[in-house]
Amino acid sequence: MPEPAPEPVPEPVPEPVYERPLPELRFGVAALVAVIVAAGGLAGWELHWRRFGVEPSIQNSDGLWARERRRIDHGDGHRTVLVGASRMLFDVDLGTWERVTGERPIQLALEGTSPLFVLEDLATDHDFTGRLIVGVAPDVFFSGFAYRGKLGAYYRDETLAQRAGQWLSMTFLEPYAAFYDPDFALFTVLKRQDWPARVGVKVGIDVRKLSNSAADRDTWMWSKVEGDPEYRALAQKIWMQDTTPPDAKFRAELDKRLGEQIDRAAAAVGKLRARGVEVVFVRFPSITPYRDIEDRDFPRATTWDVLLARTGSPGIHFDDEPSLQGFDLPEWSHLAAGERPRFTEALLGAIARLKSQ
Amino acid sequence: MTFNSLTFIVFFAIVLAAHQAPLPWRVKKLSLLLASYAFYAAWNPPFVLILWLSTVIDWWAANRMYRTRVQRHRRWYLAVSIAVNLGLLGFFKYGGFLVANATAVGNWFGLDYEPATWSIVLPVGISFYTFQTMSYTLDIYLDRAKPAGSFLDFALFVTFFPQLVAGPIVRPTDLIPQFATPRRATSRQLGWGLFLVTAGLFEKIVLADGLLAPVADRVFRATELLHPADAWLGTLAFSGQIFCDFAGYTTCAIGTSLALGFSMIDNFRYPYAAIGFSDFWRRWHISLSTWLRDYLYIPLGGNRRGPVRTYVNLMLTMLIGGLWHGAAWTFVIWGGLHGVFLCVERLLVGKLGHLTWWRTLPAKLALGLLTYALVNITWVFFRAGNFSTAERMLRSMLLLDTSGKPVLSTWFVLSSAVTTCAIVASHWLMRERTLHGTVARIPATAFGLAWGAMLFLIAITQGGSSAFIYFQF
Repeated sequence: MPEPAPEPVPEPVPEPVYERPLPELRFGVAALVAVIVAAGGLAGWELHWRRFGVEPSIQNSDGLWARERRRIDHGDGHRTVLVGASRMLFDVDLGTWERVTGERPIQLALEGTSPLFVLEDLATDHDFTGRLIVGVAPDVFFSGFAYRGKLGAYYRDETLAQRAGQWLSMTFLEPYAAFYDPDFALFTVLKRQDWPARVGVKVGIDVRKLSNSAADRDTWMWSKVEGDPEYRALAQKIWMQDTTPPDAKFRAELDKRLGEQIDRAAAAVGKLRARGVEVVFVRFPSITPYRDIEDRDFPRATTWDVLLARTGSPGIHFDDEPSLQGFDLPEWSHLAAGERPRFTEALLGAIARLKSQ
Repeated sequence: MTFNSLTFIVFFAIVLAAHQAPLPWRVKKLSLLLASYAFYAAWNPPFVLILWLSTVIDWWAANRMYRTRVQRHRRWYLAVSIAVNLGLLGFFKYGGFLVANATAVGNWFGLDYEPATWSIVLPVGISFYTFQTMSYTLDIYLDRAKPAGSFLDFALFVTFFPQLVAGPIVRPTDLIPQFATPRRATSRQLGWGLFLVTAGLFEKIVLADGLLAPVADRVFRATELLHPADAWLGTLAFSGQIFCDFAGYTTCAIGTSLALGFSMIDNFRYPYAAIGFSDFWRRWHISLSTWLRDYLYIPLGGNRRGPVRTYVNLMLTMLIGGLWHGAAWTFVIWGGLHGVFLCVERLLVGKLGHLTWWRTLPAKLALGLLTYALVNITWVFFRAGNFSTAERMLRSMLLLDTSGKPVLSTWFVLSSAVTTCAIVASHWLMRERTLHGTVARIPATAFGLAWGAMLFLIAITQGGSSAFIYFQF
């Protein structure tokens, strides 16, 4: 059917274009005052934290971890990769490792986080053909605790904007601004003040800044933990919070979780070894009283020994290696920064002896 | 890309510089369009294709519709536009919800069927730009507007980065004419625009993320029954958080637009000083409420078809408004509650509206606080994520069970209570005022002092570039 001739189109009555009203103000003066106030405030804030002992450091952020993880996909998959919790992060010196072996490893350890999700991720990533050193902190590894457990999802979903933001931050801000550290963010600082307790509410002390990092996540203990007795005592106090022995119900829950973690580790290691990836487990040093809690809740016979037996992987326990003993652990759990080169050499020696066995 | 990120600062500096450069207007618009696509692609590049599809279909449908006077053909072109836009929205946003509900109904009838997990990623801001492009074809269909002068102007209207992912949902008649002639911000527009960006970031980073979100998160993630004070504080914190988060985004959007020389409508007018729910919806997410009014409530008949139909239309509009926010029954209940409150208010105004007592200050204050309390009740469903959490929260808040445990520390109690009071007080103070009118009465140095303090607080709060809540819608 032919279309009838078009009728004239009614013209809509044009409404005036909206113009946002503006205040009558001398914006130049206002902007100048604003810049002076903001810059002055920031200078004072920076000075305050520098006096506290903070030096600029690259943030151990999600974006930084994702950058290092991506290296495996972009040509560095043949390298040694370090996974684990904070002891792997704090205790190993990447420079010493590079000097001794000629290869700088990729540091993917995460504080307070079981490395299992990284292990499982690498097990399915065929770009990874290198060697895997897995740090085992008993209370984290066998409980499955994962403070930064969402990082796997972050890595998969990281947007281009987030990648760009990471680069901008670590290039233009982090190397210069000491205050720019999550531990010194305004509301983190306010939250940890000594507020009066509220009846019925138990408030734990959040873990404080303990380390500084470089752009490849080479990480070492912050000098304040070693040199400031008050701060070191605070770090020790934080580790000893909630150390009451688990009751029967929680013990049963822990045993169940422990079994699950070992099952998952065995499955992941099986996949890695099937394609020729060497996996070595390492139990890093810890000392009394923190060590006592670990042994009480996660005794070696039911955790470490079972892990090695189930995975069929070699392992280095510091109890079995005299060269890994006798180091300075200021807050009972991590090595002092100056100990890292000697410890790393000793660890590499132990790994070499393991291979020659 | 989010406004609260270093990437955006660099991006915006480049866009602003390009826009100030001595280039032909068409080249500047092209640069804005490319920047807008880059802004969107920074989340997930393939989703730009959805924007293109929506843009091309609506441009085609609107032009064809405009050229013909045959009503049947016009309806057909409109149907194509609506089907494509709602189809995209339905597939990406409501697909999983529909499948889950169909499965539940099937299982209820004894059908043993378990579908594969719905793992479609929701394109950020899809609800906003589909509604915006639909308003274009609807306006052409309703003879309220002419098609854009060029495809470039229309594509820029759909994609303009400041409001692309979380509004305001700008009408074609408000924005497209601004693309017709060269625009460059005056120094006052630039100054006020940059101040608004600062104010928006302050709301988001300092108030929403820094002070309020931790309290709301702590309360709403609790699995046990909470002390009534904690349940109320968590809900009040969320009510402040969602306002500061969303109003913060739109303030940034308005500011960035203005710094480029474009004017965008307000999306919020101090909603927590609303007296009644009609007033609330004139102050909260104005661009959505007017969209729903103009393209849903009025076409349904509005209040012109008798009282019963008016109430039905109100309920339908608010239920759909609830579902617009998210594919979950908790959002439907949220919308439904607002619908019920609007209906009750309408009923009461009809019966008691002639009484002069309502116009006294104490009555206004009492009604305002009642509105605020009821709005907070609705937020419980919006935030809870599931009905068991909402039920637990409401049992505490309505004092049906006062045996719950306190969970908020002194700092959380103080920070949320003080911030909430400050937000509500500022809304009442500004209820009949405008920001630009208020600022105009302040000396430039005092204004600069406040501006600098906000910049300083933003910097030392160190926001973690967390996404704005409304991006998920």
